[in-house]
Amino acid sequence: MLSYVIRRVLSTIPVVLMVALFVFSLLYIAPGDPAAIIAGDQASPADVERIRASLGLDRPFLVRFGDWFWHVIHGDLGTSIFTNLPVTHMIAQRIEPTLSLMVLTLILSLSLAIPMGVIAAWKHGSWIDRLVMMTAVFGFSTPVFVIGYLLAYLFALRLDWLPVQGFSPIEQGFWPFLRTLILPSIALGMIYMALIARITRATMLDVLGQDYVRTAKAKGVGQRGILFVHALKNAAVPVVTVIGIGFAALIGGAVVTESVFAIPGLGRLTVDAILRRDYPVIQGVVLLFSFLYVLINLVVDLLYTLFDPRIRY
Amino acid sequence: MSATSHEYAAAPILPAILPEPKRRGRIMGFIYRHPTIAFGGLLIGIMIFIAIFAPYLGTKDPTALAPARRLRPPSAVYWFGTDMLGRDVYSRVLYGSRVSLVVGFAVAFCASAIGTAIGLVAGFVRKLDAVIMRVMDGLMSIPPILLAIALMALTRASVQNVIVAITLAEFPRVSRLVRGLVLSLREQPYVEAAIASGTRVPKIIVRHILPNTFAALMVQATFICASAMITEAILSFIGAGTPPIIPSWGNIMAEGRALWQVKPYIVFFPAIFLSITVLAVNLMGDGLRDALDPRLAKRL
Repeated sequence: MLSYVIRRVLSTIPVVLMVALFVFSLLYIAPGDPAAIIAGDQASPADVERIRASLGLDRPFLVRFGDWFWHVIHGDLGTSIFTNLPVTHMIAQRIEPTLSLMVLTLILSLSLAIPMGVIAAWKHGSWIDRLVMMTAVFGFSTPVFVIGYLLAYLFALRLDWLPVQGFSPIEQGFWPFLRTLILPSIALGMIYMALIARITRATMLDVLGQDYVRTAKAKGVGQRGILFVHALKNAAVPVVTVIGIGFAALIGGAVVTESVFAIPGLGRLTVDAILRRDYPVIQGVVLLFSFLYVLINLVVDLLYTLFDPRIRY
Repeated sequence: MSATSHEYAAAPILPAILPEPKRRGRIMGFIYRHPTIAFGGLLIGIMIFIAIFAPYLGTKDPTALAPARRLRPPSAVYWFGTDMLGRDVYSRVLYGSRVSLVVGFAVAFCASAIGTAIGLVAGFVRKLDAVIMRVMDGLMSIPPILLAIALMALTRASVQNVIVAITLAEFPRVSRLVRGLVLSLREQPYVEAAIASGTRVPKIIVRHILPNTFAALMVQATFICASAMITEAILSFIGAGTPPIIPSWGNIMAEGRALWQVKPYIVFFPAIFLSITVLAVNLMGDGLRDALDPRLAKRL
């Protein structure tokens, strides 16, 4: 058990290095010469050369990568070209809305999608099953901003139940905070829900056909007990895997959702950074989200042993 | 059965004990057996038709400005209304299908081709396997949309660059799929037999491995096509995709964004077209998966 955990944790190191290398290459091959920009229009080639040397830009690729990575693991993601602020500082300012949006989306999606999948499997072939599967296919196919605009149009513009746009920090009261996040979370969670409901249904169907489920039925365990205790626990591994993998869709979708609902989070920061070609910021956000994604999938892998004690690597 | 005049007892003629098989035309039979493929295929067919014949479907020049007629609501003259520059939204949406379909199909093809090539190498060359798969793991750890966004930030906006960026974000998944298939196919008796009888590796790949990866690859390619269309729209929507001068669904939505609370139709028409197209491709993928690989269908 412990050796598995240690090995699994160690195995993320090459992945993290790989991600860092890609993200660094991004800045490395980015157009525009920082030395020339700092030197200004009047500088001679010799001046530019001197500035380049003073910035360390004349060193070989791998040396610069090592230097950069050393700074990254010490929490230094460089300085924004546009605002001249440290990238970590800019990220810290914007992280709360994004994190709130993701956590709420996760809670909402899981609490809806898993029961949906379980019920669809239980009532296999019925109209409920078909309805759930249809919803799942539509959830897959409708891009997040389409759902976002549709929800905002219906519930904010037409019915006036919820605010159209914006974000209210949790310090200013929980209710306003929740109200601004409900529509974005539903929009963002749609694909995720579709993914999870489908895999839950499929694995549950598999599990419900197993002998121990029949045994449980035979000894008189109630329907709910069978579904949620005996079956769901054994269906957990594939479901949790998809929850981990699907997180990528959540991250990508957050960028769009924040644009639709004017939420001042990391997604908006990314979009603004792209429009201004602010490479250090793009790099920082991509790196942060990728590390988060790796971390989540690490946690998922470690959860396997919890759900299925047979797994020993 | 009384017709049997032979000396030996004849088995009863089948139709006598089996119900008459229903006779269907080939097309009706296909629709009956694979309704999702048929429906998805029909929708994709309609979209391809629209994309090819956009100039002949009552459209105007999608980029023609007419400030005097801006922001007209949908009417008999302007079916989908006009945008803030007076351009005809109906024409723009119809022409926009070209971008989505080209990007979707091109990415599906390129990602499958590159992914297959890399997957084959990883599956066959043991020495390279670990290195290649670590690189793929790294690429796959960057959420695809973010990777595409970052790549687009490096280059100038063009449809080709969008295709390249989304392909780079999608192909690692194909390579992992193909590598897995190769590893399991290599253990198959017929491949072992081919190796034992001295068949050279390229021939084994072409004759025995590739045909058996085709089904899974087709299904994967369909889903990549759908996801590429969404990614293209997202990139254009946030201003990092197809150049604004080309009408694409993402671009039309991006332009309608500022006004969507008062003129929601500018956003909704491209949104509906995009959703229907992606739905069609996904239905096709679902149907193909069920038809080509029942085991996979049960798992997902």
